[in-house]
Amino acid sequence: MNLHLKIIIAESSVIIRTGIVAILQQLNINHAGILEIEDFEQLRSLLGRQKCDMLIINPLMSGVFSLQQMKKEAINNDMKYIALQNSLLDRSVLKNYDEIISLYDSVEQIKEKVNNLITLTKSAINKASLTSREKEIIVCVIKGMTNKQIADELCLSIHTIISHRSNITTKLQIHSTAGLTIFAIVNKLVTLDEIKKYQ
Amino acid sequence: MTKLKTGKYKESHSMSNLICQNYPALLVLSRFGMKLGFKDKSIAEVCADNNVDTKTFLAIVNLLLCDEINPDNANHDLFIPSLILYLHNSHGYFVNYRLPDIREKLKNALTQGLKDLNKAVLYYFDEYVSEVSKHMSYEEKTVFPYVRSLIENGKKIKYNIGIFIKQHNQIEAKLTEFKNIMIKYYETESTNEIDNVLFDIFNCENDLALHNAVEDKLFVPAIVELELKKSGKKS
Repeated sequence: MNLHLKIIIAESSVIIRTGIVAILQQLNINHAGILEIEDFEQLRSLLGRQKCDMLIINPLMSGVFSLQQMKKEAINNDMKYIALQNSLLDRSVLKNYDEIISLYDSVEQIKEKVNNLITLTKSAINKASLTSREKEIIVCVIKGMTNKQIADELCLSIHTIISHRSNITTKLQIHSTAGLTIFAIVNKLVTLDEIKKYQ
Repeated sequence: MTKLKTGKYKESHSMSNLICQNYPALLVLSRFGMKLGFKDKSIAEVCADNNVDTKTFLAIVNLLLCDEINPDNANHDLFIPSLILYLHNSHGYFVNYRLPDIREKLKNALTQGLKDLNKAVLYYFDEYVSEVSKHMSYEEKTVFPYVRSLIENGKKIKYNIGIFIKQHNQIEAKLTEFKNIMIKYYETESTNEIDNVLFDIFNCENDLALHNAVEDKLFVPAIVELELKKSGKKS
């Protein structure tokens, strides 16, 4: 499975970060990108810009900033949040996390927790079917329309079109127009008569 | 730094053993235009019989087998004209033989009656083939002439290998995507013909990846070194 998973580790201690990375590497997750972050502001700006799949964070790092606020700002709504607990914390702080890893967990426990979440994430990505808007856009793309033309036709901003297109690529793992055409014909979104270059 | 493994095969090993134990090495032979029927001759002897530089031959074979290069002989001992001959023949193999052959098999394997879909499938494949041709003809027309002129101290061509490094892309990626699309979306009976063409595509993907590896891991470093040597002499 060619899924790129992006995992962020947000923790200010370099010793703990390095340890987590070493354990994650033992998991043999193909195509996973692991990013270490030590500063909370850095993390906030990253989550607002990039689509990440999993965040392993020390709950104390965010300070007064709550998990709900962080979830609102992140562009990936399906991101999994794992609390990295290294001290005694109030239960209410931890309740909204998808998983909790304690500093005293064994390697096996950590592996199991992370693996379970990865399976969830992967099946979410795989099962995600196309929205009707995305299907409309695929048809426009294979007809050879530019992003600007598609935006005008559907009364959307170019920015929105670009983000739809990137979602389509993630869901289908198809990067070329010729590939999308095959997909569209199989799924009866279009017939070849409608596409000029195939005439 | 950990020391990389030196090549698995050496000059003194028997050529027939190499091929019997690793049949993909056959492709390396044919690209150097080496004849089969080598009895019990060693790799070095067969290379000498066919006027092929043994070290270059071994570097490619060992890259194919271990996906590793020996840094000691990677840059210094390669005979660049041999390497160019290999790459040139390899280009010919893909463009004139391998890809047209796959296209023919693909055409025959497609289910009759799926007119639109088959047209779209062949369109994708043809578009891919023309990209590969463009990619390879750029190397033939721009990169190789530059390297030859560099070796012969001939006419100065305004180019450097850095330009090549920047734009050299993985040409097998789109073939991988094609194969994935066929497997996921092309609903068909599982016939011998479709199996056959898919096996061919899997193999071709590997061949293309090796071809790229030879360019990126052997050819490019050798040219970088050559450029350094030449510019050093002038100054």
